[in-house]
Amino acid sequence: MPNPVIRWQLITPEPDRAAAFYQKVFDWNLSKANALGYREFSSRETRGADGGVWPAPAGQPGFVQLFIEVESVARAVEAATDAGAKILIPESTLPDGDTMAVLMDPTGVSFGVCRLGRSALASTVK
Amino acid sequence: MPHFRLRGTSPTLTHICRLSYLASVDLIQVLSCELVQRRQRSPRYSLRAFARDLGIDHASLSQLLRGRRVLSPRLAKKFGAKLQLRSAEIAETCENHNAQAILRLSRTAGFRPNSRWIATRTGLPLDAVNVALARLLQQRQLIMESPTRWKFPATYHA
Repeated sequence: MPNPVIRWQLITPEPDRAAAFYQKVFDWNLSKANALGYREFSSRETRGADGGVWPAPAGQPGFVQLFIEVESVARAVEAATDAGAKILIPESTLPDGDTMAVLMDPTGVSFGVCRLGRSALASTVK
Repeated sequence: MPHFRLRGTSPTLTHICRLSYLASVDLIQVLSCELVQRRQRSPRYSLRAFARDLGIDHASLSQLLRGRRVLSPRLAKKFGAKLQLRSAEIAETCENHNAQAILRLSRTAGFRPNSRWIATRTGLPLDAVNVALARLLQQRQLIMESPTRWKFPATYHA
Protein backbone atom coordinates (compact mmCIF):
# COMPACT_ATOMS: atom_id res chain seq x y z
CA MET A 1 0.00 0.00 0.00
CA PRO A 2 1.42 3.38 -0.89
CA ASN A 3 1.69 6.03 1.79
CA PRO A 4 1.78 3.77 4.84
CA VAL A 5 1.16 4.91 8.39
CA ILE A 6 4.69 4.88 9.74
CA ARG A 7 4.38 6.72 13.03
CA TRP A 8 1.82 7.41 15.70
CA GLN A 9 1.84 10.11 18.30
CA LEU A 10 0.10 10.22 21.64
CA ILE A 11 -0.64 13.80 22.62
CA THR A 12 -1.40 14.12 26.29
CA PRO A 13 -1.19 16.72 29.06
CA GLU A 14 0.61 14.08 31.16
CA PRO A 15 3.40 12.93 28.86
CA ASP A 16 5.70 11.53 31.56
CA ARG A 17 2.91 9.48 33.09
CA ALA A 18 1.72 8.19 29.74
CA ALA A 19 5.22 7.33 28.56
CA ALA A 20 5.98 5.47 31.78
CA PHE A 21 2.74 3.53 31.46
CA TYR A 22 3.36 2.26 27.92
CA GLN A 23 7.02 1.59 28.59
CA LYS A 24 6.16 -0.52 31.62
CA VAL A 25 3.21 -2.41 30.17
CA PHE A 26 4.62 -3.13 26.68
CA ASP A 27 8.35 -3.10 27.37
CA TRP A 28 8.99 -0.50 24.67
CA ASN A 29 12.27 1.36 24.50
CA LEU A 30 11.88 5.01 25.37
CA SER A 31 14.34 7.66 24.24
CA LYS A 32 14.41 11.45 24.50
CA ALA A 33 17.79 11.81 22.82
CA ASN A 34 16.76 14.36 20.20
CA ALA A 35 16.70 18.12 19.84
CA LEU A 36 13.04 18.44 20.81
CA GLY A 37 13.27 16.13 23.79
CA TYR A 38 10.56 14.12 22.04
CA ARG A 39 9.68 10.88 23.84
CA GLU A 40 10.19 8.24 21.16
CA PHE A 41 9.07 4.67 21.57
CA SER A 42 10.61 1.70 19.82
CA SER A 43 9.15 -1.78 20.05
CA ARG A 44 12.36 -3.31 18.60
CA GLU A 45 10.12 -5.35 16.28
CA THR A 46 10.24 -5.52 12.49
CA ARG A 47 6.45 -5.29 12.33
CA GLY A 48 4.30 -2.34 13.27
CA ALA A 49 4.94 1.38 13.54
CA ASP A 50 6.83 3.10 16.32
CA GLY A 51 5.51 6.23 17.93
CA GLY A 52 6.04 8.89 20.50
CA VAL A 53 4.50 11.13 23.10
CA TRP A 54 4.08 14.88 22.73
CA PRO A 55 2.81 17.19 25.47
CA ALA A 56 -0.68 18.69 25.16
CA PRO A 57 -1.72 21.97 26.76
CA ALA A 58 -2.95 21.61 30.33
CA GLY A 59 -6.58 20.64 30.57
CA GLN A 60 -6.81 19.31 27.02
CA PRO A 61 -7.95 15.72 26.46
CA GLY A 62 -5.37 13.26 25.18
CA PHE A 63 -5.61 11.78 21.69
CA VAL A 64 -3.64 9.79 19.13
CA GLN A 65 -2.43 11.10 15.79
CA LEU A 66 -1.34 8.90 12.90
CA PHE A 67 1.45 9.98 10.60
CA ILE A 68 1.31 8.91 6.97
CA GLU A 69 4.51 8.75 4.97
CA VAL A 70 4.38 10.66 1.72
CA GLU A 71 6.81 11.36 -1.07
CA SER A 72 6.19 15.11 -0.85
CA VAL A 73 4.64 16.80 2.17
CA ALA A 74 3.72 19.86 0.11
CA ARG A 75 1.89 17.80 -2.51
CA ALA A 76 0.13 15.72 0.15
CA VAL A 77 -1.04 18.87 1.93
CA GLU A 78 -2.33 20.27 -1.35
CA ALA A 79 -4.18 17.06 -2.16
CA ALA A 80 -5.65 16.86 1.34
CA THR A 81 -6.84 20.45 1.39
CA ASP A 82 -8.33 20.05 -2.09
CA ALA A 83 -10.30 17.14 -0.64
CA GLY A 84 -11.57 19.25 2.27
CA ALA A 85 -8.89 18.97 4.95
CA LYS A 86 -7.72 21.96 6.97
CA ILE A 87 -4.12 22.72 7.79
CA LEU A 88 -3.38 22.76 11.53
CA ILE A 89 0.41 22.92 11.32
CA PRO A 90 1.89 23.81 7.93
CA GLU A 91 4.84 21.98 6.46
CA SER A 92 7.66 22.09 8.97
CA THR A 93 11.14 20.62 9.01
CA LEU A 94 12.05 19.35 12.44
CA PRO A 95 15.55 19.66 13.91
CA ASP A 96 16.24 15.98 13.33
CA GLY A 97 15.44 16.27 9.62
CA ASP A 98 11.88 14.95 9.36
CA THR A 99 9.43 17.09 7.39
CA MET A 100 5.81 17.02 8.47
CA ALA A 101 2.47 18.80 8.46
CA VAL A 102 -0.61 18.24 10.57
CA LEU A 103 -4.08 18.44 9.07
CA MET A 104 -7.68 17.92 10.08
CA ASP A 105 -9.73 15.70 7.82
CA PRO A 106 -13.25 16.71 6.75
CA THR A 107 -14.72 14.72 9.64
CA GLY A 108 -12.69 16.59 12.26
CA VAL A 109 -9.95 14.04 12.92
CA SER A 110 -6.38 15.31 12.93
CA PHE A 111 -3.54 13.41 11.27
CA GLY A 112 -0.03 14.06 10.06
CA VAL A 113 1.83 13.57 6.83
CA CYS A 114 5.57 13.20 6.93
CA ARG A 115 8.71 12.50 5.03
CA LEU A 116 11.46 11.12 7.16
CA GLY A 117 14.85 12.75 7.22
CA ARG A 118 18.04 10.84 6.69
CA SER A 119 18.72 10.24 10.39
CA ALA A 120 15.20 9.00 11.05
CA LEU A 121 15.28 6.74 8.02
CA ALA A 122 18.40 5.11 9.34
CA SER A 123 16.77 4.34 12.66
CA THR A 124 13.49 3.23 11.08
CA VAL A 125 15.00 0.57 8.81
CA LYS A 126 15.11 -2.47 11.07
CA MET B 1 -9.74 29.85 21.77
CA PRO B 2 -10.88 30.87 25.24
CA HIS B 3 -14.39 32.08 25.83
CA PHE B 4 -15.10 34.62 28.49
CA ARG B 5 -18.32 34.78 30.38
CA LEU B 6 -19.28 38.19 31.63
CA ARG B 7 -19.94 38.10 35.33
CA GLY B 8 -22.66 40.48 36.50
CA THR B 9 -24.98 42.48 34.33
CA SER B 10 -22.75 45.23 33.02
CA PRO B 11 -19.34 44.65 31.45
CA THR B 12 -16.49 46.23 33.35
CA LEU B 13 -13.29 47.61 31.90
CA THR B 14 -11.54 44.37 32.82
CA HIS B 15 -14.14 42.38 30.95
CA ILE B 16 -13.79 44.59 27.91
CA CYS B 17 -10.02 44.17 28.01
CA ARG B 18 -10.47 40.43 28.26
CA LEU B 19 -12.85 40.44 25.33
CA SER B 20 -10.39 42.40 23.24
CA TYR B 21 -7.87 39.61 23.78
CA LEU B 22 -10.02 36.68 22.77
CA ALA B 23 -7.34 35.05 20.69
CA SER B 24 -4.52 35.68 23.08
CA VAL B 25 -5.16 36.38 26.72
CA ASP B 26 -2.71 38.96 27.95
CA LEU B 27 -2.72 38.87 31.71
CA ILE B 28 -0.56 41.98 31.98
CA GLN B 29 -3.18 43.85 29.99
CA VAL B 30 -5.86 42.42 32.24
CA LEU B 31 -3.90 43.57 35.30
CA SER B 32 -3.49 47.05 33.84
CA CYS B 33 -7.19 47.28 33.12
CA GLU B 34 -8.05 46.01 36.56
CA LEU B 35 -5.86 48.71 38.12
CA VAL B 36 -7.50 51.42 35.99
CA GLN B 37 -10.91 50.11 36.95
CA ARG B 38 -10.13 50.09 40.65
CA ARG B 39 -8.73 53.62 40.41
CA GLN B 40 -11.92 54.75 38.72
CA ARG B 41 -13.89 53.35 41.63
CA SER B 42 -11.47 54.74 44.20
CA PRO B 43 -9.12 57.49 42.97
CA ARG B 44 -6.80 56.98 45.93
CA TYR B 45 -6.28 53.31 45.11
CA SER B 46 -2.54 52.94 44.63
CA LEU B 47 -0.22 50.56 42.84
CA ARG B 48 1.00 49.54 46.27
CA ALA B 49 -2.55 48.67 47.33
CA PHE B 50 -3.08 46.71 44.11
CA ALA B 51 0.15 44.81 44.71
CA ARG B 52 -0.94 44.02 48.24
CA ASP B 53 -4.30 42.75 46.98
CA LEU B 54 -2.52 40.53 44.45
CA GLY B 55 -0.07 39.24 47.04
CA ILE B 56 3.08 40.61 45.42
CA ASP B 57 5.49 43.42 46.27
CA HIS B 58 4.77 46.68 44.48
CA ALA B 59 8.22 46.92 42.83
CA SER B 60 7.74 43.58 41.13
CA LEU B 61 4.22 44.51 40.04
CA SER B 62 5.50 47.79 38.63
CA GLN B 63 8.16 45.96 36.63
CA LEU B 64 5.57 43.52 35.30
CA LEU B 65 3.22 46.27 34.22
CA ARG B 66 6.04 48.13 32.46
CA GLY B 67 7.14 44.98 30.67
CA ARG B 68 10.49 44.87 32.44
CA ARG B 69 9.87 41.54 34.04
CA VAL B 70 8.54 38.30 32.57
CA LEU B 71 5.40 36.93 34.14
CA SER B 72 6.12 33.44 35.39
CA PRO B 73 3.50 30.71 35.13
CA ARG B 74 3.46 30.64 38.95
CA LEU B 75 2.54 34.33 39.16
CA ALA B 76 0.08 33.96 36.28
CA LYS B 77 -1.74 31.28 38.24
CA LYS B 78 -1.65 33.38 41.39
CA PHE B 79 -3.01 36.50 39.66
CA GLY B 80 -5.52 34.43 37.73
CA ALA B 81 -6.92 33.09 40.98
CA LYS B 82 -7.03 36.59 42.51
CA LEU B 83 -8.81 37.99 39.46
CA GLN B 84 -11.16 34.99 39.38
CA LEU B 85 -10.12 33.85 35.92
CA ARG B 86 -11.20 30.33 35.04
CA SER B 87 -8.56 27.58 34.97
CA ALA B 88 -8.73 27.41 31.19
CA GLU B 89 -8.06 31.12 31.00
CA ILE B 90 -5.13 30.81 33.39
CA ALA B 91 -3.67 27.92 31.37
CA GLU B 92 -4.14 29.92 28.18
CA THR B 93 -2.37 32.87 29.79
CA CYS B 94 0.56 30.72 30.90
CA GLU B 95 0.95 29.22 27.43
CA ASN B 96 0.74 32.63 25.84
CA HIS B 97 3.45 33.98 28.10
CA ASN B 98 5.64 30.95 27.44
CA ALA B 99 5.24 31.58 23.72
CA GLN B 100 6.15 35.22 24.22
CA ALA B 101 9.26 34.21 26.17
CA ILE B 102 10.36 32.07 23.21
CA LEU B 103 9.66 34.88 20.78
CA ARG B 104 11.74 37.27 22.88
CA LEU B 105 14.55 34.74 22.99
CA SER B 106 14.33 34.26 19.22
CA ARG B 107 15.30 37.90 18.76
CA THR B 108 18.57 37.46 20.62
CA ALA B 109 21.89 36.67 18.98
CA GLY B 110 22.87 33.05 18.99
CA PHE B 111 19.34 31.68 19.11
CA ARG B 112 19.33 27.92 18.59
CA PRO B 113 16.41 25.94 17.11
CA ASN B 114 16.52 23.41 19.87
CA SER B 115 13.89 22.83 22.56
CA ARG B 116 16.43 21.84 25.18
CA TRP B 117 18.46 24.99 24.60
CA ILE B 118 15.31 27.12 24.71
CA ALA B 119 14.23 25.45 27.95
CA THR B 120 17.60 26.15 29.53
CA ARG B 121 17.64 29.79 28.40
CA THR B 122 14.04 30.59 29.36
CA GLY B 123 13.89 28.50 32.50
CA LEU B 124 10.72 26.85 31.22
CA PRO B 125 10.16 23.09 31.53
CA LEU B 126 10.93 21.24 28.29
CA ASP B 127 7.30 20.18 27.86
CA ALA B 128 6.13 23.77 28.30
CA VAL B 129 8.56 24.83 25.57
CA ASN B 130 7.23 22.16 23.21
CA VAL B 131 3.60 23.07 23.91
CA ALA B 132 4.48 26.70 23.17
CA LEU B 133 6.33 25.74 19.96
CA ALA B 134 3.31 23.76 18.76
CA ARG B 135 1.13 26.77 19.53
CA LEU B 136 3.46 29.10 17.60
CA LEU B 137 3.45 26.71 14.63
CA GLN B 138 -0.34 26.57 14.62
CA GLN B 139 -0.58 30.35 14.81
CA ARG B 140 1.98 30.71 12.00
CA GLN B 141 4.22 32.64 14.39
CA LEU B 142 6.95 30.10 13.79
CA ILE B 143 8.08 28.49 10.56
CA MET B 144 10.52 25.58 10.75
CA GLU B 145 12.24 26.03 7.41
CA SER B 146 15.05 23.56 7.87
CA PRO B 147 16.64 21.52 10.66
CA THR B 148 18.79 24.51 11.57
CA ARG B 149 16.64 27.48 10.60
CA TRP B 150 13.47 28.65 12.33
CA LYS B 151 11.80 31.81 11.15
CA PHE B 152 9.62 33.94 13.42
CA PRO B 153 7.42 36.25 11.34
CA ALA B 154 7.38 39.74 12.78
CA THR B 155 3.61 39.86 13.01
CA TYR B 156 3.57 38.85 16.65
CA HIS B 157 4.29 41.51 19.18
CA ALA B 158 5.23 40.21 22.61
